[in-house]
Amino acid sequence: MAAGEADKVTDRNRFRKTLVRVLIVQVVALVLLWALQAHYNVM
Amino acid sequence: MHPVNWIIVGVYVLYVLVDGIRRAKGTDRIEGYFLANKSLPWWVVGLSVMATQLSAITMIGTTGQGATDGLRFVQFYFGLPLAMVILGVTLVPFLHGSKVFTAYEYLEKRFDARTRSLTSFLFLMSRGMSAGAIMAAPAVVFSAVFGWPLTWTVALIGLPTVLYTMVGGVQAVAWADVKQMVLIVFALVSMVAVLLFKMPVNPDEALQIAGATGRLQVFDFSFNLTNTYTFWSGLIGGTFLMLSYFGTDQSQVQRYLAARSADEARSSLLMSAYWKIPLQALVLLVGVLVFVYYQFQAPPLLYNPAQETEVRAERGDAYAELEERYQSAFTLREAAALHLAEADDAGISPEAAMTAFQAREADIQVIRGEALAMAEEVTGQSSNDVNYIIPRFVLGELPIGLAGLFIAGVLAAAMSSIAAELASLSTASVIDFYRRWFRPEADDAHYLKVSKWATGFWGIFACVVAVYAATLGSLIEVVNRFGSFFYGSILGVFFLAMVPRASGLGSFYGLLAGMGAVAAVTYGAPDVSFLWHNVIGAMTVLVVGVVLSRFGKTEPEPDAP
Repeated sequence: MAAGEADKVTDRNRFRKTLVRVLIVQVVALVLLWALQAHYNVM
Repeated sequence: MHPVNWIIVGVYVLYVLVDGIRRAKGTDRIEGYFLANKSLPWWVVGLSVMATQLSAITMIGTTGQGATDGLRFVQFYFGLPLAMVILGVTLVPFLHGSKVFTAYEYLEKRFDARTRSLTSFLFLMSRGMSAGAIMAAPAVVFSAVFGWPLTWTVALIGLPTVLYTMVGGVQAVAWADVKQMVLIVFALVSMVAVLLFKMPVNPDEALQIAGATGRLQVFDFSFNLTNTYTFWSGLIGGTFLMLSYFGTDQSQVQRYLAARSADEARSSLLMSAYWKIPLQALVLLVGVLVFVYYQFQAPPLLYNPAQETEVRAERGDAYAELEERYQSAFTLREAAALHLAEADDAGISPEAAMTAFQAREADIQVIRGEALAMAEEVTGQSSNDVNYIIPRFVLGELPIGLAGLFIAGVLAAAMSSIAAELASLSTASVIDFYRRWFRPEADDAHYLKVSKWATGFWGIFACVVAVYAATLGSLIEVVNRFGSFFYGSILGVFFLAMVPRASGLGSFYGLLAGMGAVAAVTYGAPDVSFLWHNVIGAMTVLVVGVVLSRFGKTEPEPDAP
């Protein structure tokens, strides 16, 4: 039972960490794409 | 194609086949066959979800779109991370905890049998057809490029996929997807490296050339319902589409139902959210770089080799004259591109160099337009050759080995998408219809046997549809339009399931009303982009369902298995 609870906590922590990382990757990707457009695109 | 490339393709297909069959261990019960005994680690599920979405048409069609239209298509995916987060905290734990095999099985527990059967039936119809369309797209391209009969190319893609899916079930599909995903990314990254190495300009200059033609425009903030690729249609319409696809489509739901726990299931979805936008940008960037590469290496006037041969045979002189004009225009454009690339160092005005380059590029497009019109007249078919740009480039320009790797990557992408569709079609047929309505009391061994035959049946169905879809070109469009009728509406039913007082009556008629509303918009206002259909369908089901639920309540059937 205790091991099961510990697994759930680990899963939840992993989900939260993954969520934060997902948001960071999206922001970085969008900023990079924006920079690419702002620097090179002329049309 | 060089024999070494063929060996690479052959070894890859054989490896996937043998490994898939080896993974059949542990699939002696339907929980093992359909849900891999809920034993898959989150990263396997995540990679499998990503591989399923990356179909062969992404490898050849989307890269081609990057070459002709640039990066703006990436906006289509802006809603995906948001949808994954919403699903991760709402539907995924819900479905995983419901101990169901299909998403539609849950609808019977919540509403009634007819809502379950209707949604599952709609899924079978659309996915059965789309499995054929997904197979048809690369089969047509391979057929034209290699000069093989279409039935051979359909068999090359279809038979190994049907075999390993039939024998190994979801376990085999998911582990094959992991290898396929690695191969696809490796092939794309290698292509970028080769392109950068072979071009006579540096990456900064290459991007300047691409930017001068508008191919690096990513964001379009205009709010225009008729334009498919804008920031808003991607963010709002795309979120609804992705919610529907990942939340209610059995080919996706089945993956995270196979995860060890609800939290592993939602982590797997977030993994896919991580990489979708960067990966899609990479796919499009490959196309953009191929466009730049062809500034310095004369591209074919027509990319579709089958149409090119036909045009040469029918209008040899006129085509030769066009090719001569094309060659002269190419030489002028090449010089203009080099001027633009070296403008800063050579002390030339960048604006003047860019204007000159844009004028030369416009000249090329005029000649290409004439050639495409000629191909259309001669063949009587659409001459849109965007899907042929990358295969022609791969076979003509990539070094030995890498071309084979790319073709294997295209096959991998096709196989992973089709395998997911077949596994989900088999699951929905057996669980939602055969077990629910015909043989509710049979033992596991019986269901397993029926499931394998169902996978085989859907595989053959998909191959037959693929051959016909290819000969009746517009069928693919019909499939897409048919699918868009109810994608949003099915999502609306799952939204409705979260409304405490919603009833079976509301869900069933709400679903019909949602499809009716989308049909009305499709025919009444055909200019409205299909991404908005998902919003319209889902919202109509929700509103009509809530209103009708006030009039009558249908209890779930107590004997539902």
